[in-house]
Formats: sequence, C-alpha cells, structure tokens
Amino acid sequence: MPFVLLSALLINTLLVNNHVTGGSLKILLLGGAFPLGFLAGRLIYVKRSHVEILFDDISFSVIKGSRETETGSWRSFRLVSLVLDQFGKPNLRLYRAVEGEYVDLPISKTNADPQRFRDHVQSLISGVRIRKTTPQVVEAA
Amino acid sequence: MQSRSLSEQISPVDAFELNLLRGGSRLIADLTEFFRDYKVDDTTFAIYAKGNTRNKGLFLSRFFAWTVLPNYPVSLFCINEGKTLLSTESLRKRIETVTKVTDEDELQWAWLVVLSDRALSPQIVSFVSRYDRKELGLAAASTSSKQIVLSNNQVGRSIGKQLKLRKALEPNKHWRN
Repeated sequence: MPFVLLSALLINTLLVNNHVTGGSLKILLLGGAFPLGFLAGRLIYVKRSHVEILFDDISFSVIKGSRETETGSWRSFRLVSLVLDQFGKPNLRLYRAVEGEYVDLPISKTNADPQRFRDHVQSLISGVRIRKTTPQVVEAA
Repeated sequence: MQSRSLSEQISPVDAFELNLLRGGSRLIADLTEFFRDYKVDDTTFAIYAKGNTRNKGLFLSRFFAWTVLPNYPVSLFCINEGKTLLSTESLRKRIETVTKVTDEDELQWAWLVVLSDRALSPQIVSFVSRYDRKELGLAAASTSSKQIVLSNNQVGRSIGKQLKLRKALEPNKHWRN
C-alpha cells in the first residue's frame, strides 16, 4: 500500500509539472498508481523477503530473496523439532547434536504443513536420538 | 507436504499436538518447542514439548506476564501406548522417566499424558485419580472408549480444562488449515 501512495504522489508531481491539473486524463493516469505500486512492492518482496526452501532426500537449501542463506545435508543432523517464533508461527529446528548446535528453517513462511514436513524430515535425518538420563543416587542404609 | 485436505483424518496425537501448536496451553504455560518420537532411555515419547510459564502476547499481556508471572521451565510429555496394555507397572516406569528428566532439566512441573487404544483398566483409573504429586500432572486417556482420567492435583486438572484433551480424541475431527 505505501508503494501505491508513493506512485500516486510521483504521478501527481509529474502531472503538475506538465500542467495537467484536472479532467478525466488526470484520474486515468492516477489510476495507474495501483498496478505500479503493487508491481514495485512485489518486486521488492521477491528480491528481499521471499523465502524458498529447496529440498530432496539428501540435502536442503534456504533461499531468502536472491541469496542462499542456509544449506546442508539432512544426514548431518540428529534431531528435529518444531519451534514457535515470537508470533506463534512454527518453524523447523534441526539439531546437529542433542541439545547442541542447531539450524532453523523458516517453514512458516512457506505453505508447507509444519507437522507433515517435520515428520518427513525426521524420516530423513540420521543418527541415534536417545537421550540418556543419569541414574539417581541411592544411599545405602 | 502441503496442508492436509478436509476429508483427511488425523491421529489423536497429531490433533493434540496441533492444538498445542496453536497455543492451546498458553493460559498456563507457553510451550515453544515440540519434538516427536523423543527417546529417553528406553521410553519413546510421542510428543515432548518444552516451554515456560511466562507467556508472550502483545504489549499489555507481555508487560503483565513480565511483571507478575514467574518464569519456570515446564514440559509436556505424551506417550502413545497403542494397543499395548497399560498397566500400573508400566505407568510407574513412565512416571519415573519423566521425573528423571524434570530433575535433570530442573523443571518446575510437567504434564504426562498417556494415550491408549484400549479401554482403561480400573487399576489405572484408580492409580491416576489418586496420584497427587504436585510436580507432575498425569492424564490417561483411551482413544477407543474416550475415557479420560486426570490426576488429583492442579497441574493434572489443567490437562482437561486447558489442553483440551477430549477434543483430540474426537474421531471425526478434521484438519482445518
């Protein structure tokens, strides 16, 4: 929406400079602010914020805008979870070791079903995910 | 990997987790991380969720939570026994495992929900309804008879009120995107 307003202001400035101050031509030209604004907004979104997660059974890569932000192999991770962000949107978290280093995949920004995607990734990742608890100390009488 | 169709049924575990992912527990705890098939020693938890008691929200509720609510780490454990008979002995073992994790992670309290495809035995009903350790809220539910038993403590009673366990057991529950 801000881009539509900006386009309208720009078109209006051009029209005033060219002494087009009224009439149906001005309304028609100002109407062009809508497609122009939407196009500009869409272009900026695709270039900077659009998130794409490309994956197969071996590896994945996260592309944000026009650059690759994350890449890796499923087999280098041991544990997968769903993490809710500050807005309550679920994202995928991949752990290299239990309670160790992790990588977040922003699946909430795609149209993937979080639970299904997590289940699929869980079937792809390798390793033993068993957490061992330390035995409790019992005092002998 | 896209959203499930309306006609597709989901399992009680998936439905229960979905409710939690949508903030079903937020009045009591803010669960933020969800694991599936999480193995601790020889026990596999269908759902293991971690969080704390201070929820987020927007400006006013966040300020309220920050100033008034304590920030204790808490967890939810859910076990799906399937068609295996749920005995008091196996339930005691599950409780022991959860207690070990709560002690190790220094959790203030935890929820343990046990789902079974078989009807709950009178021994289980008696054991769960008489369980009163305040650090562990216990619930046993049968997906076939839809019977739910809650432990006799505040954390246990909240499983029925806040976590909407009964809703997850409904057979005709459809996925809504």
